[in-house]
Amino acid sequence: MSNSTFSSPAFAKRLAQRHAAERRFKLIGLGAIVISLAFLALLLVIMMRNGLGGLNWNFLSGSDSTDPHIAGIWSAAKGSILTMLVTLLLSFPMGVLAAIYLEEFAPRSRWIELVEVSINNLAAVPSIIFGLLGLAVFINTFNMPRSSPLVGGLTLALMTMPVIVISGRNAIKAVPPSIRDAALAVGASKVQAVFHHVLPLALPGILTGTIIGMARALGETAPLLMIGMRAFIVTPPDGITAPSSVLPMQIFLWSDEIDKAFVQNTSAAIIVLLVFLLVMNGLAIYLRNKFEVRW
Amino acid sequence: MILTGVLLAVIGLGLVGWFAARGRARLLYTGRGSMHSMPSYHGWHMALWILVPALLAWAAWSAIMPGLVDGAVMADPAAAQLPEGDMHRAAVLADARNIAANPDAVAFDPLSQELAAPMRAAQTRFGMIGGLLILIVALAGGGYGFTRVRAGFPARTHVERAILALLLIASLMAILTTFGIVASLLFEAGLFFKDVSPIAFLTGTHWAPGNARGIDIDGNFGAVPLFWGTIYIGAIIAMVVAIPLGLMSAIYLTQYASSTIRKWVKPILEILAGIPTVVYGYFAALTVAPLIRDTAASLGVANPSTESALAAGLVMGVMIIPFVSSMADDALAAVPRAMSDGSLALGATQSETIKKVLLPAALPGIVAGVMLAISRAIGETMIVVMAAGASARLSANPLASMTTVTYQIVQMLTGDQEFNSPKTLSAFALGLVLFIVTLILNIIALRVVKRFREAYE
Repeated sequence: MSNSTFSSPAFAKRLAQRHAAERRFKLIGLGAIVISLAFLALLLVIMMRNGLGGLNWNFLSGSDSTDPHIAGIWSAAKGSILTMLVTLLLSFPMGVLAAIYLEEFAPRSRWIELVEVSINNLAAVPSIIFGLLGLAVFINTFNMPRSSPLVGGLTLALMTMPVIVISGRNAIKAVPPSIRDAALAVGASKVQAVFHHVLPLALPGILTGTIIGMARALGETAPLLMIGMRAFIVTPPDGITAPSSVLPMQIFLWSDEIDKAFVQNTSAAIIVLLVFLLVMNGLAIYLRNKFEVRW
Repeated sequence: MILTGVLLAVIGLGLVGWFAARGRARLLYTGRGSMHSMPSYHGWHMALWILVPALLAWAAWSAIMPGLVDGAVMADPAAAQLPEGDMHRAAVLADARNIAANPDAVAFDPLSQELAAPMRAAQTRFGMIGGLLILIVALAGGGYGFTRVRAGFPARTHVERAILALLLIASLMAILTTFGIVASLLFEAGLFFKDVSPIAFLTGTHWAPGNARGIDIDGNFGAVPLFWGTIYIGAIIAMVVAIPLGLMSAIYLTQYASSTIRKWVKPILEILAGIPTVVYGYFAALTVAPLIRDTAASLGVANPSTESALAAGLVMGVMIIPFVSSMADDALAAVPRAMSDGSLALGATQSETIKKVLLPAALPGIVAGVMLAISRAIGETMIVVMAAGASARLSANPLASMTTVTYQIVQMLTGDQEFNSPKTLSAFALGLVLFIVTLILNIIALRVVKRFREAYE
């Protein structure tokens, strides 16, 4: 009994080796996370170090300029706000209505399957393709004003809508059928049951998805490059058809400047953009934690 | 100007109609069961009858009015001096329209100053005619709607039918967008392939659209170096970074980490996916690329360039890590618990279980996730625009400057180019190739994921 295979030195050695392999594997996993987070930290630290010095009221309220010391981001920020407004006003109602239809009313048919396939694909189409669409359709076919928040907002709305539809469908799906059944049982019509009972309960989830989609649209540059939003704008745009720039585009334009002093401007603009995104994502997480009902 | 006012008036009328119909319906109410629908549904029914026809009329008139106005201006004696060329004529008319809307604007052409007055007159005249027509439509619709406010009228059924139609239209937007993408890419790429043979485009190895003129046009539009650059940066370098890091962090977070660590680290890791690509691009150009260049120089590489495939691919890989990680997370979670429990019960260590049981079982899901990640990486634009460079070359040297499909699309469309030159149109041909490749990758990946889930359910 004493010299069973379990107490032989060879077994002990093998076991030690296997345990060492286990520790190594665990360490590699930890290392992967540490490397990823270190990269994030490095990026943030470098942007902070370069940009924090440039953050002051003049920078926040100024407009673009060829002189890095008086250049500011308000004109680009206003362009971003106008663009996001157009995007939100179009993609939110459209996305929510489409999600309601697909989840609650759509019959099983070929057409609906096609709609579902195209929504899933649109969510994965590269953003630059949407820029090509915006250029070919809105500018060249409908002659809408180039580099305006209107065209930018339309293009980004097409890009954001699939995201809202997908998150909206998940939120609606999460509302238990008993809610619908109860409404129908007391005499509500199907439309009433959905709009009066299901939709309010699904709304926090839909809003979370919408904010995440909008945050993505806010940081998007490539499609706007296609529709010409890279103009040199010295006055804030005064309407959705006026030529304008947006925050990420301002970052891109400044990053191309040869003058070294623009490094500070670029980094400061990046900090502003990241703060915006952080606030939006924080809001999404807050909404999810505060209002989401676990059934 | 006038049309905007008319639009507001129509909306106001709709509001008035809503209250009027609801008020009348309330008067009709005589007790339980006396009416088919609630008063507010009568209000909505009325408002829809005012708004829908009037808005359709408004849209139609807005579309045809510019043509009518231009026609009237052309009939003006001052327009006789208008130049012949269509382009120039359109420019003068646009200028005149600008002055008509904003008297302080500066005229580029004295002629447009002269044309501004007739332009304004014509705009006012046609605006009045259109506004009147639209208001008549709105009132007629409202009048009809108002006569339908009766006790037995099923207003709710009608309103709900309209709501369903609206829902259907909203969901058809997705198909319309897909159709719009395919149609515009095919159309513009078709114009391009009239000048350049598709075979030369897809198999040629020399890309120099700047020299493409006349007879040797085919020879300068060979896109293979762009495809290679795209694959090398997006599918090779970026994946070499993203797959090990993403996979290992998913394994650590799902298999080893305590739930508190998981709760904190996962969202922080997700921040990497939320950072705008232009920020990554700037980081690559400002920090990573010079670092790589200096390292290469100190290792004895002659003349390393600042823009390198390695810098772009590396940063792109980091951007993709959370994506790979969450796909791997889902794939690992889909493997039934019994499989890993069985392996652990036989005495395998946790890492042995992961390597020999969990990963092989989750492989289809992981592969599909990697395909989606590749489709994302090759469509990525800003990082390569800011860090990868413009030279189209077939090289396996990661330190060389390399260009990609997305970079060239941006290049071709942001210069000062006339719209219909082959150079500009080539962007749409490249876009078409990119769209088809990402579409195929996505469809295959989504199908694999679906089948993989079903296999374990």
